[in-house]
Amino acid sequence: MNKEKYMLGVFNDEDSLVEAFEKVKARGILPVEVYTPYPIHEILEGMEKKTRITHAAFFYGLFAALGILGFLYYAAVIDWPLQYGGKPFNSFPSFIVVTIVATILSITLLTLFTFSVRAKIFPGKKAEIFHERATDDKFVMVLDKDSLGENAAEIDSIIKEHGKIE
Amino acid sequence: MENKLVVSNKFKMLTYVLIGIGVLSFILGFIFDAKRTWANYLLNNYYFLMLAIGAAFFGAIQYIANAGWSAAFKRIPEAMVAYIPFAGVFFLIMFFGMHSIFEWTHDEVVQHDHLLQHKSPYLNIPFFFARVVVFFGAWTLLSKYLRKISLKEDEVGGMEYFHKSEFYSKVFIFVIAFSFSIFAVDMLMSLEPHWFSTLFAGKSFIAAFLHGSSVITLIIIILARTGHFDLLNRSHLHDFTRYIFMTSIIWGYFNFAEFMLIWYGNIPEETSWFVHRWDGAYKVLFFANILINWFIPFIVLMPRKTSRSKLIITPVIILLMIGQYTELYYIIWPATVHEAKFGLLEIGTFVGYLGLFAWVVSTWLAKANLVPKNHPYMEESVYHHF
Repeated sequence: MNKEKYMLGVFNDEDSLVEAFEKVKARGILPVEVYTPYPIHEILEGMEKKTRITHAAFFYGLFAALGILGFLYYAAVIDWPLQYGGKPFNSFPSFIVVTIVATILSITLLTLFTFSVRAKIFPGKKAEIFHERATDDKFVMVLDKDSLGENAAEIDSIIKEHGKIE
Repeated sequence: MENKLVVSNKFKMLTYVLIGIGVLSFILGFIFDAKRTWANYLLNNYYFLMLAIGAAFFGAIQYIANAGWSAAFKRIPEAMVAYIPFAGVFFLIMFFGMHSIFEWTHDEVVQHDHLLQHKSPYLNIPFFFARVVVFFGAWTLLSKYLRKISLKEDEVGGMEYFHKSEFYSKVFIFVIAFSFSIFAVDMLMSLEPHWFSTLFAGKSFIAAFLHGSSVITLIIIILARTGHFDLLNRSHLHDFTRYIFMTSIIWGYFNFAEFMLIWYGNIPEETSWFVHRWDGAYKVLFFANILINWFIPFIVLMPRKTSRSKLIITPVIILLMIGQYTELYYIIWPATVHEAKFGLLEIGTFVGYLGLFAWVVSTWLAKANLVPKNHPYMEESVYHHF
């Protein structure tokens, strides 16, 4: 990560961040990333980021549930049928509990892995920190210097009006 | 912001006609088939009481959780809760039909039944109606008081009435949780006094919450459609459907847990309840209940888009209203009428109650400002967005 490439706007509170953010967006420039201590509606929507991870999670859940039910059926009916207290081999209602629990586990793990792969995060990775107090008590907006183009001076003054450049 | 609902004469006439149909069906029913009519009477009483109790619970939760988004809609649960005294009177009238539906009221049966003798200190007619009086007294008093402070807030403003409402909502929620659980056991589980299930009360309670909150949503959608609720936006709708979605999952969970444990334990005194519901129309109803009350809301309301669209929510809610009927039918009919009969009598009596409920809700909505004025969270509610 080349820090020279980016410009950081650091703000003390939500209002000044949102104002600066909206002015920057009005110039047709989308920040690379915005770090805030808590989620802010305007930023979430303004960043125009859509996630498909919920769809992935739904299909993981669907296939995990089917797979686990299939496995239970295979184990209890086809491969090793055992009589438990006069129950049918395919004691479907009692499979459901295992299926629910194991499905939740599969969804959690698979979505976590999917997220890590897509976000390129892995154990032992060096953290990319733009600003030490980002997500602590400062609101930080990261701008790509190349994207600024002719507006650079204007953006500079917008950020200085509401916060600091670091 | 004067925004009062004016109930049109047409609508009032419609409710009177519906009530008329209901009264007529009851009269004809009592002449031709008294037992079945009393079963209908119990079912419909309980059906609409569930809506009122669910609405009371919904309203109380909003205060306790300090929910901002729902402040503008609090008049709708309040209007539904106004039905509670009416239901109370109906349940007292059931005194005349006790022998037709409750097995434990027959002395000659109790004499030959050791278990019923053992239960008779609790299950006897004087104590039964004492409970009905006490429960309805408590619900009516608390709900009237909450309504009174809520209307005072409109005039006076300030935080005092909000804090009061919050406190009495806490009282109310405990009273409802305790008394409605016992009430469900009295009214539905004691139809078959030999059977018992610990989850039954919880199940009935969550069913009331599920159907109460879905009918609240339906009424709000109707009000918005007729132009009385312009401030309803998609975020509000989404929050309402979250309630339906969440409670339908809990409903499915409770129903499954009850059935699965009884099925797996296989103890005769527990399974008997399900065994004679395991053939013919009742078996169909068993699966239909799960499909309507859990599966369809769960699948349809899961995506963000569908849970924000009136076009999709409305049919789901109407389906849930049918599901509530089939659920109660599944509990009451095998114990009282035995044969699965469904005809004009059932439709007529239900329609009558529907008319009365619509009349109560619309009258009580018209009594106050449709949108509360001085609620501290009013602004947050109007601009609710996520």
